[in-house]
Amino acid sequence: MTILTLIFLLPILAAIALAFVPRNFAVIMRAVAVGVTFVTMLLAVQMFWQFNGAPADEHGYKFVGTIPGLGAESLGIACKFGVDGLNVGLVLMGAIVAFAAACCAFEIQSREKEFYLLLLTMTGGILGAFMSLDLFFFYFLHELALVPTFIMIGVWGRGERRNYATFQITLYLSFGALLALIGLIALYLQMPADARTFAIPALTQYFAAHTMALGAQNFIFPLLLFGFGILVSLWPFHSWAALGYSSAPSATAMLHAGVLKKFGLYGLIRVALPMMPEATQGWMTLLAWLCLGNILYVGWVAIRQKDLNLLYGNSSVAHMGFVFLGIASLNLVGVTGAVLIMVAHGFLAALTFGLSGFIYHHTGTLVMCELGGLARRMRFIGTAFVMAAMAGCGLPGFLNFWGEITVFFGAWTEPALRAVVVLAIWGALIIGAVYMLRAVRTVMHGPSDEARAYAPNVADATLWRKLPYALLIASLLVFGFFPRLLTEKIKPVTEQIVSLATAVRTAPDSAPAIIAEVPGAPAAPLRTAANP
Amino acid sequence: MNLEALPWLILFLPLLAAGIITLFTLHHQAVSATLSIGAICAGFVLTLALIKFGGWDAREVSVHWLAVGGFNVNFGLKLDALSLMMLLIVTGVGSVIHIFAYGYMRGDSGFSRFFACMSLFTFSMLGIVLATDFLQLFIAWELVGLSSYLLIGFWFEKPSAADAAKKAFITNRLGDFGFILGILTLWFWCSSLNFTDISHGLVDWKGPHWFLTGAGLLIFCGAVGKSAQFPLHVWLPDAMEGPTPVSALIHAATMVAAGVYMLCRVFFIFTPEALTVIAWIGGFTALLAALIAVQQNDIKRILAYSTLSQLGYMVMAVGLGGPTPAMFHLTTHAFFKALLFLGAGSVIIALHHEQDIWKMGGLRKKMPVTFWTFLVATLALCGVPPFSGFYSKDAILAQALHAHNYALFAIAAFVAVLTTFYMFRLFFVAFLGEPKASAAEHAHESPGVMIWPLRILAVASIVGGLIGISELFNSLFVGAAAENAGPANVFTQLIEPFQHTPVAAFGGLIAVVIGFLAAKALYTKAKNDPLPAKLGALSRAMANRFYFDEIYKATVIRLHDTIAAIADWIDRWIVEGFCIGLVRGGTDLTGRALRLVQTGNLQTYAFLFVLGVAVVLWFVLGR
Repeated sequence: MTILTLIFLLPILAAIALAFVPRNFAVIMRAVAVGVTFVTMLLAVQMFWQFNGAPADEHGYKFVGTIPGLGAESLGIACKFGVDGLNVGLVLMGAIVAFAAACCAFEIQSREKEFYLLLLTMTGGILGAFMSLDLFFFYFLHELALVPTFIMIGVWGRGERRNYATFQITLYLSFGALLALIGLIALYLQMPADARTFAIPALTQYFAAHTMALGAQNFIFPLLLFGFGILVSLWPFHSWAALGYSSAPSATAMLHAGVLKKFGLYGLIRVALPMMPEATQGWMTLLAWLCLGNILYVGWVAIRQKDLNLLYGNSSVAHMGFVFLGIASLNLVGVTGAVLIMVAHGFLAALTFGLSGFIYHHTGTLVMCELGGLARRMRFIGTAFVMAAMAGCGLPGFLNFWGEITVFFGAWTEPALRAVVVLAIWGALIIGAVYMLRAVRTVMHGPSDEARAYAPNVADATLWRKLPYALLIASLLVFGFFPRLLTEKIKPVTEQIVSLATAVRTAPDSAPAIIAEVPGAPAAPLRTAANP
Repeated sequence: MNLEALPWLILFLPLLAAGIITLFTLHHQAVSATLSIGAICAGFVLTLALIKFGGWDAREVSVHWLAVGGFNVNFGLKLDALSLMMLLIVTGVGSVIHIFAYGYMRGDSGFSRFFACMSLFTFSMLGIVLATDFLQLFIAWELVGLSSYLLIGFWFEKPSAADAAKKAFITNRLGDFGFILGILTLWFWCSSLNFTDISHGLVDWKGPHWFLTGAGLLIFCGAVGKSAQFPLHVWLPDAMEGPTPVSALIHAATMVAAGVYMLCRVFFIFTPEALTVIAWIGGFTALLAALIAVQQNDIKRILAYSTLSQLGYMVMAVGLGGPTPAMFHLTTHAFFKALLFLGAGSVIIALHHEQDIWKMGGLRKKMPVTFWTFLVATLALCGVPPFSGFYSKDAILAQALHAHNYALFAIAAFVAVLTTFYMFRLFFVAFLGEPKASAAEHAHESPGVMIWPLRILAVASIVGGLIGISELFNSLFVGAAAENAGPANVFTQLIEPFQHTPVAAFGGLIAVVIGFLAAKALYTKAKNDPLPAKLGALSRAMANRFYFDEIYKATVIRLHDTIAAIADWIDRWIVEGFCIGLVRGGTDLTGRALRLVQTGNLQTYAFLFVLGVAVVLWFVLGR
């Protein structure tokens, strides 16, 4: 039993245990959820702390452990967990966000049992998906976390368009996940029949040595790109996100926008890039231009929103564009920056949706023109709100800044991406500032209107309620001041992934030699430089 | 005492103060103020110690902050005459203003928050001053933008203040957009962000000349935003919505001067073509702002436009190839403009937050210290010898002559006329004559915590031109050759401009005399402004700031809004409505069509079943 299996099992077992608690004991449900996520978070912090000193296995993964009994040996499936620099930050972020989400779930007043059960399932599922070294569990655990999202929005969601939002997010994400699943199965089938396995390290190693057929790559890669892309709200498949988040209960929005959404990006970096370099190189130009759809277009859409949550939802979609830009740059600096943003945005998205949930709880509305001057009586929340806005427009001091700036520097070194970078910087510096400051101006600043119906209810957070926000802001600041805590861990992995993804394996002379190493491998066709 | 540790202490003490205030002492006003004032005063003392024991020599230390591939960011401290002098200005003038603010902000509900923000600002500003590389500079650059935002919007319940804060931040970001592109370009060529490395890397620059010009101009964009040069000058006057000590510290003495400081710091990257553009933008801003200042009636706005105009001078001086006069003027300007703002703050408090100069008057007897110190600052700003402003302004005029740019010399001299005119307009109307409103009749002198800062700054404004600041900068920019000139005695320094560059010196003096006589003729006894009647449309244009806000609103802002509206429309109707609607409608339609097959009629089902069996049999057997 390693620390990782604990991190996964704890929330899952707690969820199962909750099923046996009678539904009258709502306080116990809440205490269990908060307590378990708290312990999970402590474990994740400890794991992050010990990461540098821990021994690594031959693929560079640390804390590797399996849960015996789960999986199917004959199919090459095993429930195996491990972390390297790529996912260690994500696991830490996910655990912190899960605890913050559990704290912010106080607004749930009905069917607490089911809610907390689903919340714990979601937590365990997504943390497991990030840690999984097995393609099957990687996918399965993500689905385990995804399905509760739909139920939570449908049952505990808010607003008139709740049902529509539930339908749309369910269908959209299921479709995306389905595309990715087809891609992953096709990937699995590319292995020779006797060596088939779902183990990610083995797959990576195999496809590093044996180039996948170009036809297969060009079939599988777009499936993964757009399947994962839909899960990450890649433009133009983004319209589920803002609506879904605005209708979701805040804990769900925090976990989904913060943590679950990073799954697609993680999958792209972990699976698609290193295993299919030729297709990757061919598709990255398109991805770079699509990311402008996120950054500019969705940014502009965010400027026009009248509902705070729709604004935050669109802003979260816009931020994904920077990650895509980092991936599209396909170099060490850019991809490292992309991972930094993934972590940073997790904290930020959780913070924003947590704050909007708090405001909604006190005012009963998130329509911005009905709010105003809240900072006078919500001092702490007002401060956190301004900090979230500043982190959202990439202000130094917050981790988001390092992510964005690293992506820009990385992408700038690719001459083909210069124009994209210029526009993306416009999106980061100007558009981001416009919508974020607009939110601050209308919601927090200005005169407070005592005539409003909600005015008597407006009060600042109590010490206990402050905790999740303080924790998320502190995380952003700590990594914002000491980005090396993350980059030093991420760098070796991204370096390896980038070198795999950018490998030019065109020399016809050496190709047969590689094939000769493994008998029974499908003959790799000769190919030229991979830009179609 | 370890000298190495001193600059780190100077830099981080204010951040520490800001952190402690925010986390722990928000409800203990006196403690908060003590922490904040203590941090910056300690910074001043430590800076003096640093210079006393460490000298003015250039040195640099840095630690690795972040390294990913070719992207290396160091956090370092660069100490040389330029940054040490700037340290003295920021901590020295800053200390005085912090102390003044203790009196000014007394009783405000956000007292602790105010000092936390001020300390955050001090930290960020020192970060700019001490930066060793472009990214560190950019980070501190953004952070001063943040503190400026927080302090302009300090009274956030006032809609005008909240709007002004937002405007300042976004306008600054427009400049930063160019700035970061320039940084990226230079980094790509030189593979380094460090100033020294880049200056070495550009020595043997082989690429096209205009590339370098372009990069220089992109970097200059940052200064255009931060130092509020045309066309991004619109935010600074609105920034006066912040408390007056903020206007004095951030929007007069230090932050807005950061653009000029940055230009001097990276002077080596500018090609002659880039410098020409810089000089003309500076000159144009100086003229434009001075013209607008002539027809403003809010005491702080007059000073704000005056700041714009003086910043234009400094930028122009850099563009004319003279970082020395630019930094010299920056230094003296920090003294007297801070003094002017604090004096204005003293008046505003005495008059219960009245800012219209036409409701003041007759303050000479009631507020003697404020009156005399304000007069000193006015004389210094106008450039009357032997006040400090005379020497620095003279240096800029001389630089224009030296560069043989007579058009800019003429502009600069004309701006000097305007400067004297609007300052004495302000002085005559606000301080002399009869009280023009009841508040002015009952004004009292401010308490000691506010007037002692005025006295200190007044002394600095008087002697600032004579204590060798110019020589110090000269030794840095021109090189060791100038150092050997030897210390001159006070008298030779006093008359040095008249011997050295008589045209510039006498030109400046004549400008002052003309401006003063015009203001005296028009305003000594005026009850209201006689100028609008005389100038007509021009006066209206000046009073309305040449309609720049309106023009921007109608063009740039509307364009961006329209694009956003179009994007939103597409999202709502094309992506959400049409595409998703089509999929949804298509599925729905298919479902309805297929429903028709489910008739519930047993005969039909039986028939289809048999048909199916027949088809299967045909496949299996028949083929």
